[in-house]
Amino acid sequence: MMLLARASAGLIFWAFGFSVLYGLHGIGCAYGWPSTEVGGGNLFRWVMVASWLLLCAGGAALIWLAKAAPSGLERRLSLTSAVVGCAATFVTGLPVAVTSACV
Amino acid sequence: MSALSRHRALTAIWGSPRGWRGTVSSVNHSDIGRRFILAAFAFFAIGGVLAMLIRAQLATPGSAFVGPEIYNQLFTMHGSIMMFLFAIPMFEGLALYLLPKMLGSRDMAFPRLSAYGWWCYVFGGSILIAALALGVAPDSGWFMYTPLSSKAYTPGINADVWLLGITFVEISAVSAAIEITVSILRLRAPGMRLDRMPLLAWYLLVTALMMVVAFPPLILGSILLEVERAFGWPFFDPLRGGSPLLWQHLFWLFGHPEVYIIFLPAAGVVSTVLPVMARTRILGYGWIVAALLALAFLSFGLWVHHMFTTGIPHMALGFFSAASALVAVPTALQIFAWIGTLWKGRPELKLPMLYLLGFFVIFVLGGLTGVMLAMVPFDWQAHDTHFVVAHLHYVLVGGFVFPMLAGAYYWLPHFTGRARIPLLGEAAFWLILIGFNLTFFLMHLTGLLGMPRRIYTYPSDMGWTWLNLLSSVGSFIMAFGFAMFAVDVALQIFLSRRARRNPWGAHTLEWAMPLPAPAYNFASQPRVADGEPLAADPDLPLRLARGEGYLAEIRHGWRETMAVDVTTGAVDHVIILPGNTRLPIITALATGCFFLALLFGFYWLAPLPLVAVTVLGWRWAWTLGWREEIGPVPIGAGETALTHREAAGAPGWWGSVFLLVADGTLLGSLLFGYAFLWVVAPNWPPPELIAAGLPQGAVAALAALAGTVLTRLAASAGVAGNNAASSRWASLAVGAQAVVIAALLWLGLAELPAPTGHAYAASSWAMIAYGVLHAFIALLCAAFIRARIASGHIRKGRVLETSVAQLFGDYAGLATWLILACVLAPLVLA
Ligand code: HEM
Ligand SMILES: [Cu+2]
Repeated sequence: MMLLARASAGLIFWAFGFSVLYGLHGIGCAYGWPSTEVGGGNLFRWVMVASWLLLCAGGAALIWLAKAAPSGLERRLSLTSAVVGCAATFVTGLPVAVTSACV
Repeated sequence: MSALSRHRALTAIWGSPRGWRGTVSSVNHSDIGRRFILAAFAFFAIGGVLAMLIRAQLATPGSAFVGPEIYNQLFTMHGSIMMFLFAIPMFEGLALYLLPKMLGSRDMAFPRLSAYGWWCYVFGGSILIAALALGVAPDSGWFMYTPLSSKAYTPGINADVWLLGITFVEISAVSAAIEITVSILRLRAPGMRLDRMPLLAWYLLVTALMMVVAFPPLILGSILLEVERAFGWPFFDPLRGGSPLLWQHLFWLFGHPEVYIIFLPAAGVVSTVLPVMARTRILGYGWIVAALLALAFLSFGLWVHHMFTTGIPHMALGFFSAASALVAVPTALQIFAWIGTLWKGRPELKLPMLYLLGFFVIFVLGGLTGVMLAMVPFDWQAHDTHFVVAHLHYVLVGGFVFPMLAGAYYWLPHFTGRARIPLLGEAAFWLILIGFNLTFFLMHLTGLLGMPRRIYTYPSDMGWTWLNLLSSVGSFIMAFGFAMFAVDVALQIFLSRRARRNPWGAHTLEWAMPLPAPAYNFASQPRVADGEPLAADPDLPLRLARGEGYLAEIRHGWRETMAVDVTTGAVDHVIILPGNTRLPIITALATGCFFLALLFGFYWLAPLPLVAVTVLGWRWAWTLGWREEIGPVPIGAGETALTHREAAGAPGWWGSVFLLVADGTLLGSLLFGYAFLWVVAPNWPPPELIAAGLPQGAVAALAALAGTVLTRLAASAGVAGNNAASSRWASLAVGAQAVVIAALLWLGLAELPAPTGHAYAASSWAMIAYGVLHAFIALLCAAFIRARIASGHIRKGRVLETSVAQLFGDYAGLATWLILACVLAPLVLA
């Protein structure tokens, strides 16, 4: 079972991050964060971009952890899962930096 | 014992009686698998006829062949049949039939559950087909969008037929998923490590796990919509705080993973058949497994690409658009692995290979249009046009039907023990390939010319006339092809000459047995030391038949098979499987009565079959097990192992874990719905919120905690052999769960507004109902422990039943706490 757990860890992390971003987006729009000015931007953008970057950092940390998995299929799967998780977190989160907020 | 007498003895144990007795009582995986495949093909034929009617109607502008009412039923039933009654059951049948054989095992982990799933599938499917024959079939599209499917716009029973019939069939999908998962994880031949498993098993494992989490959102959505239609709880009615978008989220949260659930098993067939056709090993085993896992997860982050035109904010669309484009990467990786395998090997253009080539061409085109549709601006143009119809048929027919046809020709000798008649199959292939492309390639064009999907007619000045006519001609060519395929298969079954053993020279274990396969699969189970056992050891079949493997000894008429460690494949214990019984069909009938009572609106009658199901479920668990101490039994090669009731981590425990994962996903979806409505739906906040109820909440929470702790105490006392104490704790746990039920109901009745007033109250009530149901299940589990201690089944060292009861006790406690937190949140936050 450890093999399957390790092999899914990075991807589970992506699923978690994806849900966090999507959830924060819903909540932020419902509570009007885009119209709250903070430090030269709006609260919504700050929260979204900061969470995204944090998640990307978390994904990178997972790659580093995955290198410790037992060698063979288990290491292969843990590593690819972590790399895919991190890359997917970066790509699927990219819209927080470039699209309009709540329309 | 000679090979022949062993064959006779094992057949007596594993086979089923002849005639209708065998039909209603068999739980053997080969029987059930074959039935699933045949029935799925029958539904495919029905769905195909509907498709031809659709094409007949669209062949010419202004056609008067069928009117809009019938047309709506035609396309709704076509889609629903193909997705729910053909594709999923077809792969389930293939998995049930093949998996134990490929894994070197004698049966699946829960034979009675397979049989129950089979009966639920036939009964549920029959309800849908009966409705079609009576002209009251569902007619709101295979995705049943509200408000079209709500009471106001579908007052008849059409929508109820879909919601209840499909949910009934879904039970069989979830059972199969749990069954497949546990069987792959535990029921393999000793020595078959995870990384020596045939790739098809990896594909099926990943698919089954996806099903465990993908089906619950749809089951929940169907329950909620049915409750809205029957009792007026407004989950999807925007005037009363509901949201039609909630339905779309729940549906596609299931629906997108569903398309991968259909594709992956077929891709598994490709990865199995292709290397044999190319006379080499598959390239990049590890990479393929990694790609599979990535696909499985990413496919849960795509569902909103079906909702790009619903007015969701751009940023949210961006997340899903990016994920949709990303999912093409692991898909492409597999394609390259297949191409590489062909390159490396010496491919032969046999019939299965022809179908694989057809698959490549068609599926790649479908994937490309998928990526086009995943781009939001393009989708705004193409959504709801025939372009989408073209895309989905390229991926579904290319990605499922073609590989399955390759698989059909590849494994048919295994089912029939006979060889194919030459040429007929090739002719069928070309008809299907040409017919398919003619039908569906042109739909890209009609779609881009603006022809919407689901219109029953169109005027001649739109410029779509010729394209549609050609499409219809193509569809009839394709239908001829499928008919020819059916004839070819029938000839092979009834007329053809006998096949050689292992006619393709394959290296996986399903070919290490006589053809057609005996009921017990292997006279003795192999020890596996290589990913391709027959390549490493061509004499294996002979030695297994001679009884030189595991479990060659026959004792007490038991159906025995080995359970192994998940990762290493080391011998773990011996599983003694239940034999033929009529319990599955009777339980499925009772389940069906429940659905029929709801369908016909006899709500007062519905509790009766529910009680029957509960009683049968009790009996189901009761008839297993034994009072005597067995201890370690010899398994061959001088080794011994415990039997599953005395070993930790038996399949029953694992099955319960995955059942609870599915159940937890259902709860998660319900909580998501609650939060979603709260944040997004119009007409919030509700006119009336919960105003009091902390005392009831506190009682429920404490009783839930007590119920969990007491069940745990009962379990550990039972395993320690302390019967009196265990029995006492179990009784107390029953009491505690009863208190939970009472307190939850009291909370709802005394403090919550009526559920029909607003979606807020309706969703709070839905959560309460969930909590009550699970407290009741935990209550039954505790009562079961008590009864089994009294009957002497639970005794020192018997961990299985107590550990399962403990799982359900823990889950009920957790669920009650979560639900209380959500129901009481408005009160606490106010
Ligand atoms: C490269 C991967 C894929 C991408 C990016 C993709 C993308 C899409 C998009 C964006 C839509 C929605 C179009 C619309 O309604 O406006 C769609 C529809 C659909 N796709 Fe795919 N797809 C992919 C692969 C697949 C596969 C592998 C299958 C099944 C085997 C599939 C089955 C379907 C079905 C059934 C629909 C239509 C659902 C309906 O509206 O009735 N897709 N796809
Ligand atoms: Cu999709």
